[in-house]
Amino acid sequence: MAATAQDSTAPLRMGPEKKDEDQDEYETEYSPFYGIEKGAVLQEARIFHDPNLDPRRCSQARSAARARRAAQQRRTPTDRAALRPLPQWERPITRPPAAPTRRPQVITKLLYLLNQGETFTKQQQQQQQEQQQQLTAMAAAGGTKEASEVFFAATKLFQARDPHLRRMVYLCIKDICPGSDEVIIVTSSLMKDMNSTVDLYRANAVRVLCQIVDSQLLAQIERYLKQAVVDKSPVVAASVLCSAVHLMAHNTDIIKRWVNEVQEAAQSKHPMVQFHAVALLHALRATDRLAVSKLVTQLTKASIKSPLAQCLLVRYVAQVIADSQPGPSGEARPFYDFLESCLRHKGELVIFEAARAICNLRDVSARELAPAITVLQLFLSSSKPVLRFAALRTLNRVAMTHPMAVTNCNIDMEGLIGDSNRSIATLAITTLLKTGNEGSVDKLLKQIGGFMGEITDDFKVVVVEAIRALAVKFPGKQRALMAFLAGALREEGGFEYKKAIVASILQLIQIPDSKEAGLAHLCEFIEDCEFTFLSCQVRDRATLHLAQLSGDLGGPAALLSAAARRPDPGALEARLKAYLAEGEGEEEFDLESVPEAPSTPARAAGARGAAAGAMLPGTTGFGGGGGAPAARGAGGAAAPAAVAAAFNAAQAEAEAALKAVPEFAAYGPMFKACPPARLTEEDTEYAITAVKHVLGGRLVVRFDCANTVPEQVLQNVTVALDLSGAEGFVEEACIPLPQMPLNATGHCWSVLRLAGGPGAMPSGKLGAVLRFTVKEIDPGTGEAEEEGYDDEYQLEDLDVSAADYVKPRALANFRSAWEELPAETEREDDYGLGPREGLQETAEAVVGILGMQPCEGTEAVPPNARSHAVLLSGSFPGDRPALVRLLLGMDAGGSVAMKVVSRAVDEGLSEAVHAIIQEA
Amino acid sequence: MFAISSWLQGVLEWLRSLFFHKEMELSLIGLQNAGKSSLVNVLTTGSFHEDMIPTVGFNMRKVTKGAVTIKMWDLGGQPRFRSLWERYCRGVQAIVYVVDAADAAAVEAAARELHSLLERPSLDGIPLLVLGNKNDLPGALTTQQLIERMDLGKLSGRELAVYSISCKNSTNIDITLQWLTAHAKKS
Repeated sequence: MAATAQDSTAPLRMGPEKKDEDQDEYETEYSPFYGIEKGAVLQEARIFHDPNLDPRRCSQARSAARARRAAQQRRTPTDRAALRPLPQWERPITRPPAAPTRRPQVITKLLYLLNQGETFTKQQQQQQQEQQQQLTAMAAAGGTKEASEVFFAATKLFQARDPHLRRMVYLCIKDICPGSDEVIIVTSSLMKDMNSTVDLYRANAVRVLCQIVDSQLLAQIERYLKQAVVDKSPVVAASVLCSAVHLMAHNTDIIKRWVNEVQEAAQSKHPMVQFHAVALLHALRATDRLAVSKLVTQLTKASIKSPLAQCLLVRYVAQVIADSQPGPSGEARPFYDFLESCLRHKGELVIFEAARAICNLRDVSARELAPAITVLQLFLSSSKPVLRFAALRTLNRVAMTHPMAVTNCNIDMEGLIGDSNRSIATLAITTLLKTGNEGSVDKLLKQIGGFMGEITDDFKVVVVEAIRALAVKFPGKQRALMAFLAGALREEGGFEYKKAIVASILQLIQIPDSKEAGLAHLCEFIEDCEFTFLSCQVRDRATLHLAQLSGDLGGPAALLSAAARRPDPGALEARLKAYLAEGEGEEEFDLESVPEAPSTPARAAGARGAAAGAMLPGTTGFGGGGGAPAARGAGGAAAPAAVAAAFNAAQAEAEAALKAVPEFAAYGPMFKACPPARLTEEDTEYAITAVKHVLGGRLVVRFDCANTVPEQVLQNVTVALDLSGAEGFVEEACIPLPQMPLNATGHCWSVLRLAGGPGAMPSGKLGAVLRFTVKEIDPGTGEAEEEGYDDEYQLEDLDVSAADYVKPRALANFRSAWEELPAETEREDDYGLGPREGLQETAEAVVGILGMQPCEGTEAVPPNARSHAVLLSGSFPGDRPALVRLLLGMDAGGSVAMKVVSRAVDEGLSEAVHAIIQEA
Repeated sequence: MFAISSWLQGVLEWLRSLFFHKEMELSLIGLQNAGKSSLVNVLTTGSFHEDMIPTVGFNMRKVTKGAVTIKMWDLGGQPRFRSLWERYCRGVQAIVYVVDAADAAAVEAAARELHSLLERPSLDGIPLLVLGNKNDLPGALTTQQLIERMDLGKLSGRELAVYSISCKNSTNIDITLQWLTAHAKKS
């Protein structure tokens, strides 16, 4: 903040400006420091120790420095690289006398190195040797830290009275800043400078001092600092205010005592002081939303003269608006008038800031947007590239949500396509892609293709995102768009860029016509993709799509058979891989050759639905990973429905599997199936997952078993459950799996009766052991041997928790249902959840644990809310309902507290809800 | 007539200072509360203050006496700064070690710190001036006692002088200054 803020006033510019200069010079390759070496500069820094200031030889040194600079500028970078071994003049043996003109240059070099990302290492390893050769006098210093070496050398410069040198010393100390036990050595000198008569010394000393103080010392010097806040020199006041913003982090209490002084400074005529004072006032209140709101009200009424301070205010206003709950439609937003008035401000900075704030308002209406767009349109024809860019970027953002509002600017933007600034041109095109009509797509694509090679990956991603949006909008243009993406996929590019392209193509595949072409492009990409992660993802996706595709192509009969076949995904993937690796595409891929997953006729019916359900979360997950926040926002409302659909699909699938076993028919309809839980680590010999079903007073567990060892056959497979660790279970039946298939799943079952009848909900950890008969396969014949032996394999414990008995239950009217349940069953408890990301995440987590259905849309937490109530409905075996009111609150530190109030048909159930939460 | 000659002398002095200007750099060290910052004040401004705050780190002061400019590194005496003394003693023309002569208990620690500092090879041959400050207080050690108690006879290989001074009463400040200017180097 300080760096950008300091541009408008001359006296404050010294520090950052110096650095900026270096960077500019670096970019244009005229930097006199280009290619300097750390070792050389560190040795040069030793002249700080030289106490001698000889006026007679000073000029010589100066002219020498000038000549040197000129000489360096003449050299090309490659020449300089060749000259790397230290030039003669840098050898300390023949060093020229120290002159004030030279020292700042050395410091500049040091700062330059720091800004180039060079660090002063702890141990001087490489330099140590040459140092000892060249500088026997300094041999003792060989093992010390570079940073402290330079730092102590720089402190010697406090003897010089030269103001320019002193400035650089301050900067140097601030940037190098060695360990706290060493930096304290300058405290006294800084405190002296802080009370100096020279404003510049005072201001800079304050900045450095605030950087290095601890709270104990701060208490000592607080008096001076507090006074300096209202100092009549703006440089000093701004320095203190700016430092105070940084001190806030650890010493809030001390800074809070300065409020009156800071208020006064906020009225200052000097723009910089006002700017920093406003920033500090806000920082002091940042944790208290009400206080921020009050402050903003107060400041919008007072006249803020500094444009920068006004910009800050606009930002704070935007934040207050974002934090406030949206009023009923039609009601004017608070502070909107203020933002609009800022659009008529003198300064472009303020105008832009206000326009941007309006554009970023939540649920902004077209009417509110209009004045901001008008202003941005004016900026588009500005002569300053930065204004054009800023305006365009904002318009680009608006175009995502309000394309119609931006269409007025289309003519201006078309003019910017040929802008000499590539960033502006790219943004212009992507914005036009969003607002344009179908007819102009081809023309725009052609123009983009012309400069795709010249822009950076970041912008390429922007372009790809725009094209993706376009593809959704104009399905008729997908052929041209796909061709463009395919071309882009073949070009060089970074991971993010390729990922965006792949995500876009995957979305395009959803359009039936482009399915084949898109898959072909992806298959090609799998072969020569240099990013393993990405190629894996592409492969997985492509496999799934291909499976779907082959089903679709084969007509109704093939569709049926494909659905009935339900190939094993793992095997299918392996086959596809092999197919892609060897085949030139002459032979058609034979789905029939893929080993079939063990399936029962009953399952086939539900398979299509289940597969579709499984696909849905998968694809949206990938799209989200590809970076489509807009899509995610739009999909937000549909998400719970999708999740519910997925849940129902999973239930249906589980029920179908259950019905396939005739023995279970007597137990009646299934109440609930739990999500699968792994009982083995990944990549072990056997893959076992368990699915628990609750029905008819029993817990039926399905174990999905897969063998991954080809050299053996496993027969008569059962899972023995150890019931000693949990009460309330009685083993009733066990259905073994005759043979565990290789790389595919088969089921064995265990039935546990719940001792307390249909309403009982026992829980606990059940130890599980896999028992089976092993028969080795004779490598010669490929046949299993006659003789086998019994073996067992330890599995992880099977957890049964109270949550397993809860099923989400949709409810139209929560309130009346709540009233209907007896009030005496109400149980209430408080839980501290500690620091969390946000309320939305917390709510989702808790709902996930309880496994209940959120009612009346309460699962969505409004943005920025500090507290929220979620209404949950669920039912327990025997269709006994239970309702939960979940109250979440977040404090300033991000810690979440939760209150859970539950009601149910009886007290036991109500307590069971709390038991679920306590277990988690 | 006399006025003119004294004025002439002043001009001569100034002229001489232009051509025969000398300067020196020295480090002022010693335990906390020995009177280092007070000595700097007395040397630069001639005034003495009772209430001094401890020096956190160092202070750099310059004073011009006649044709000699003296740069003084006044270093903090608290234990955390003692390890840093050496850095500021390298390459100076003289090390001035101030001891609180009235605080007999601290003399031993002062001696220990001094000896360990002067062992460093980087400080070989630098002249040392030990000042027993606060001789206005009763029970202050004399020069001779100081030499014995601090075992200063053991220090060899460098020029050494010991004075007993008082910053409060400006006792012996003049001879201190004399010693210092005599060690200034010609530039």
